[in-house]
Amino acid sequence: MEPVQTRKSLSQLRRGTVEYCVLALLRGGARYGFELVRELSVVDGLVTSEGTIYPLLTRLRKEQLVTTFWRESESGPPRRYYELTDAGREALDDFAKEWARFRDSVDAILTKEEG
Amino acid sequence: MSTMQADRLVDDYLSRLEEAAAHLQRSRRAELIAEIREHIEAALREEEAAGEVAVRNVLERLGPPEEIVEAAEPAPAAEQRPTGKLEVAAMVTLVVPFIGWLFGIAMVLISKAWSNREKSIGTALALLAVVPFLTLAIVDSYSESTNSTFETLLFVLWVIGGLPSALYLGLRLRRAD
Repeated sequence: MEPVQTRKSLSQLRRGTVEYCVLALLRGGARYGFELVRELSVVDGLVTSEGTIYPLLTRLRKEQLVTTFWRESESGPPRRYYELTDAGREALDDFAKEWARFRDSVDAILTKEEG
Repeated sequence: MSTMQADRLVDDYLSRLEEAAAHLQRSRRAELIAEIREHIEAALREEEAAGEVAVRNVLERLGPPEEIVEAAEPAPAAEQRPTGKLEVAAMVTLVVPFIGWLFGIAMVLISKAWSNREKSIGTALALLAVVPFLTLAIVDSYSESTNSTFETLLFVLWVIGGLPSALYLGLRLRRAD
């Protein structure tokens, strides 16, 4: 288990990035909540509790980065689907560019030889 | 293992969620609970194991209800409303007739310490102070005699007309602390 400080930093980092991972998963088309959550939670170290994705989805909808609609399901009740909006796609593209730069910079410093 | 017990686990989990979400807006809370319920139902349909074990697995992966609510909106204790010089100045100014009312209302509207609803009520209360003044003006223009009890009362009312607004806003601030 990581020290408290590390855990805190990582959870903040996660919080800021997971929403873009959600947007990225929607790039290929609309998905329903459960499917989206399961897909995120199998990625190692990204999500600690599946339930926390739902408030995040609501936030994305409020910010109009995604829209929702209901669709009949073959097994069970209708499902709420999430879909990327144009604004969402734009936000994702911006983030992807910035993230690549950010990641490279952090990596460069972290792996720099001392001396 | 009975399905009844499994159902109870789900019910317990959802009522814990409802309790933890007490500070959320009613519609927001209902939506969150519906989403989590949907998730549990969908997850149980996919679980291979049945009954209590399946339910326990699904709830475990969802995480503690408190954590889910925390992700939606931190508990109110963390939510601090700024109370500063501007708010105190606004309340003091509101007590001064006319110019004070105007500047007071302006300061109230600028401040971030009050909600929009509180601002509207505060402003309406301050504007009410104009009523005794206008009445006094009308009464004065019709009657020659000055200093009747009624007029004195109206005069007092318009001088202290800003007080209800200042008091109301002050109380709202204290409740937020």
